[in-house]
Amino acid sequence: MKTVIKTKDLTKIYNSSVAPVKAVNNVSLEFGEGEFTAIVGPSGSGKTTFLNLIGGLDKPTEGQVIIDDTDISNMKESKLFDFRLKNIGFVFQSYNLIPVLTAKENVSFIMLLQNQAKEAMEKRAVEMLEQVGLSDKIDVRPSKLSGGQQQRVAVARALASKPKFVLADEPTANLDTESAFNLLDIMSRLNKEENITLIFSTHDQRVIDRARRIITLVDGAVSKDEAFDR
Amino acid sequence: MKTLLKLAWRNLWRKKRRTFITVSSVMFAVVLAIAMMSLIEGTRELFVESVVSQTTGHLQIQDVMYHDEPSMDHTLEYGEEVYSTLEKHSDLIDYTVPRIQGFCLGAKDMGTRGVFVMGIIPGKENRMNNLSSRMVEGEMFSDNDDYAVIAEGVANLLELSIGDTIVLIGQGFQGMSAAGKFKVGGIIEFPMPEQNNTMVYLPLQEAQWFFAAPERLTNLIIMAENESNINTLAQNLSDDLDSEWFAVKTYEELMPDVLQAFETRDAQVRLFSWILYIVAGFGIFGTIIMMIHERLREFGILLSIGLKRAQLAIICLFETLFISVIGVLSGIVVGFPIMYWLNKNPIQVGDDLAEVMLDMGFEPVMPFSIAPDIFIYQATTIFIIAIVVGLYPVRKVFKLDMISAARK
Ligand SMILES: Nc1ncnc2c1ncn2[C@@H]1O[C@H](COP(=O)(O)OP(=O)(O)O)[C@@H](O)[C@H]1O
Ligand SMILES: [Mg+2]
Repeated sequence: MKTVIKTKDLTKIYNSSVAPVKAVNNVSLEFGEGEFTAIVGPSGSGKTTFLNLIGGLDKPTEGQVIIDDTDISNMKESKLFDFRLKNIGFVFQSYNLIPVLTAKENVSFIMLLQNQAKEAMEKRAVEMLEQVGLSDKIDVRPSKLSGGQQQRVAVARALASKPKFVLADEPTANLDTESAFNLLDIMSRLNKEENITLIFSTHDQRVIDRARRIITLVDGAVSKDEAFDR
Repeated sequence: MKTLLKLAWRNLWRKKRRTFITVSSVMFAVVLAIAMMSLIEGTRELFVESVVSQTTGHLQIQDVMYHDEPSMDHTLEYGEEVYSTLEKHSDLIDYTVPRIQGFCLGAKDMGTRGVFVMGIIPGKENRMNNLSSRMVEGEMFSDNDDYAVIAEGVANLLELSIGDTIVLIGQGFQGMSAAGKFKVGGIIEFPMPEQNNTMVYLPLQEAQWFFAAPERLTNLIIMAENESNINTLAQNLSDDLDSEWFAVKTYEELMPDVLQAFETRDAQVRLFSWILYIVAGFGIFGTIIMMIHERLREFGILLSIGLKRAQLAIICLFETLFISVIGVLSGIVVGFPIMYWLNKNPIQVGDDLAEVMLDMGFEPVMPFSIAPDIFIYQATTIFIIAIVVGLYPVRKVFKLDMISAARK
């Protein structure tokens, strides 16, 4: 299996006013192509910080993040913007979508920024919305969608441009149980069908066992790394 | 780019009421500023128009020395050179008004009085300022007559009536003394006391003889075919006339002090309208600050998923521009018809002021101008302010820490 993301001794220290916090502590991991991984751990264990580091949103204090042989830990900001746009899909906890754009426009947004051809882009956007079960909401704005539906649009957007991998930070945190299961099922299915590497963080016991690999963080360090065949 | 514009436009209508209020405040500032400038500009136009038609004309040909030292020794020769030059540029010239004029002593019996003697061609004066319509007694002379028409104030002061004789004594051309007796054939009334108490009119040829300056003029007034060509015409004329002898002056050069006074007042009005704009600017600024701060989280997410800072800055800048442009345009759309109406249906001023204005020879109205400059000036000013205000969100976007913004 090809390695997509590799971290070496990754460490992030926040200099808060009280005492320095080691939010991520010496993490060395590898993620292979097509993996479906959950980063779990209690609140404050460093999940978000870890995802921000491998997503190129934050700079490590020490160590490296290598994506497909490219070390992004010391890339210039302007280069990082391009790198993220081309290679990484993001899903956040909530308010992912651009409120003034319709579901289809939101899904097309990344492809639009990538200057993709209009027709192919629209076709792909509609196809992705069908994949997440929202073919009847194509021209609806986010404010008219439920929380679960909004997250599904966000997942569709993250995957539409076929990035190298998708990072989802607690995507189910604000969803009811049914929507949470539904979202995870969709993510799991798309991971297989589109063969896109997918890493999500959660402290939500309900959805953890959907993942095929579970990495547990405690105080910023890896305490467990288990694989499951499902 | 199209996408960025679309986003900016839609963002504007997320809080419809707030946008509407901001746009309205800009609109009112613009309407007010337009009204103010329109009135000032209108007053200036009225004033200049009045001075142009009464006194200076659009431009004048004079002797080179006359402007600095107006005397009979500095008259110009109204001959072949002037004729042919005028002929050459006749397409730009509507008509000309020749004058010879100077201060004299007017006397009857024992009474004397300083008067201003002006030799004129009545037909031409009438075309310029409808002089004959001010006649209150007697008749305006024609070119071959040899009597005088005097202002009503002069008549009163010297106790002159129709048929009496006025004696004029003054300085003629090249040191000759000018003296003559003229019968009073008409009395004319002016609203402005300076004119009413000094003017004495003679037929041009009589006046030239009186001043011992045949074929000479102090001023040759020229009315242009089209006001926008005044400067071109002045340039053409002075190119063709011998600059050793002749000077061509536009009305602006002929009344610099008047225009100077208006300039000072214009500056004050500009200052006041800037205050209005700053108020409007802060209105926009407040709205923009709110629009930015309630969306920092959204900005963080947009930047995380791949929108460049410059692109986000463009969106913000356009939001500001849209608000200002809509405000300015609606201000003009509302303001222009009002000014247009006021321009066509002038408001009469109150009695006291009306009297003063009449005394000065003006129509007693509030003159609103609809010169395009006024509207263009408003538009550009607000545009500049919008750019300045729009720099705030741009700065904010470039400084934004997207992680902490997305976390909120
Ligand atoms: N910007 C920051 N400044 C200071 N401390 C921070 C900052 N971001 C996160 N932390 C701290 O780092 C630790 C890990 O936080 P986080 O990555 O958000 O954990 P999780 O996502 O698992 O809840 C926490 O102790 C948190 O308080
Ligand atoms: Mg977190």
